[in-house]
Amino acid sequence: MTWSIAAPAVTAAFLASLVEVVEAFTIVLAVATLRGWRPAALGTAGGLAVLAGIVLLLGPLLNRIPLHSLQLAIGILLLLFGMGWLRKASLRAAGIIPLHDEDAIFAAEAAQLGQHRGRQQSNLDWVAGITALKAVLLEGLEVVFIVIAVGAGRGLLMPASLGALAACALVLAAGAIIHRPLSRVPENTLKFGVGVMLSAFGVFWTGEGLGVAWPGQDLALLLFAALFLAAGLVGSTLARRISVEIAQ
Amino acid sequence: MTVLNEVVAELIGMFAAEKRLTIAVLTVVIMAGCLVDFTDLDPLVGGTVVLFGCLILLVESVCRSARAGAS
Repeated sequence: MTWSIAAPAVTAAFLASLVEVVEAFTIVLAVATLRGWRPAALGTAGGLAVLAGIVLLLGPLLNRIPLHSLQLAIGILLLLFGMGWLRKASLRAAGIIPLHDEDAIFAAEAAQLGQHRGRQQSNLDWVAGITALKAVLLEGLEVVFIVIAVGAGRGLLMPASLGALAACALVLAAGAIIHRPLSRVPENTLKFGVGVMLSAFGVFWTGEGLGVAWPGQDLALLLFAALFLAAGLVGSTLARRISVEIAQ
Repeated sequence: MTVLNEVVAELIGMFAAEKRLTIAVLTVVIMAGCLVDFTDLDPLVGGTVVLFGCLILLVESVCRSARAGAS
């Protein structure tokens, strides 16, 4: 394992997981605040169990796929996923689409759960538990994909998983202390950074899958990341200029 | 069933939230694959096509969305 590729993999898994866990935590907290910790904890445990099942199912399958095919498939998926994040982050930075607002999401989830108040207590707990399960499952799917994607190509699944677990621990610790949505996390900056890293990994793995021997080997990742960062910033600046020109 | 539908929608959204960008990226990768497999060019040329193709597509996609979003 070389640190030039392990460090970006762990960092990408950590930062991406931080963003996703913050989003899941907001909804689980809304459930816990309105309906108590029991349905929130049960829903979270259910979501984590399904995610663990997916990892256990996918893990052995990955070992059967030839490395070049695996790198190509994961590289393409990473390109699509990472460029999607980077595109959205650029548009958010340019003010074209609104920033993610954890306080607003918390209020919306709380209001939605509040609409079910006329129902029986057991039904209400069921709805709350499913809401928590869905949040953990949907946000966790992205974490699972990112960990597998940045980790599988070079046998870095364990370090990438540790990066994701560290993010979970950090969000849970912060959440336990402040007991409200983690709205001060600079989510768009993190998404921008993660989009840059995932896109860079995407080009790297896609190239390796096609049989490219990148000059500088793993260090090429740093160049790719710098180019995607520049492209994201250029895109954001141009987008801001376009919106100002159209508004005038 | 709703949860399953939402999981499927989430998975599709993860990779194909912006259809034009998705199709364009796949086209660039296929082009690079053809260059590597069917010509005598160094595979690095294919890699370079993927890299710069994706960079151009990203900027183009952001600008197009800005035009659509701001108009």
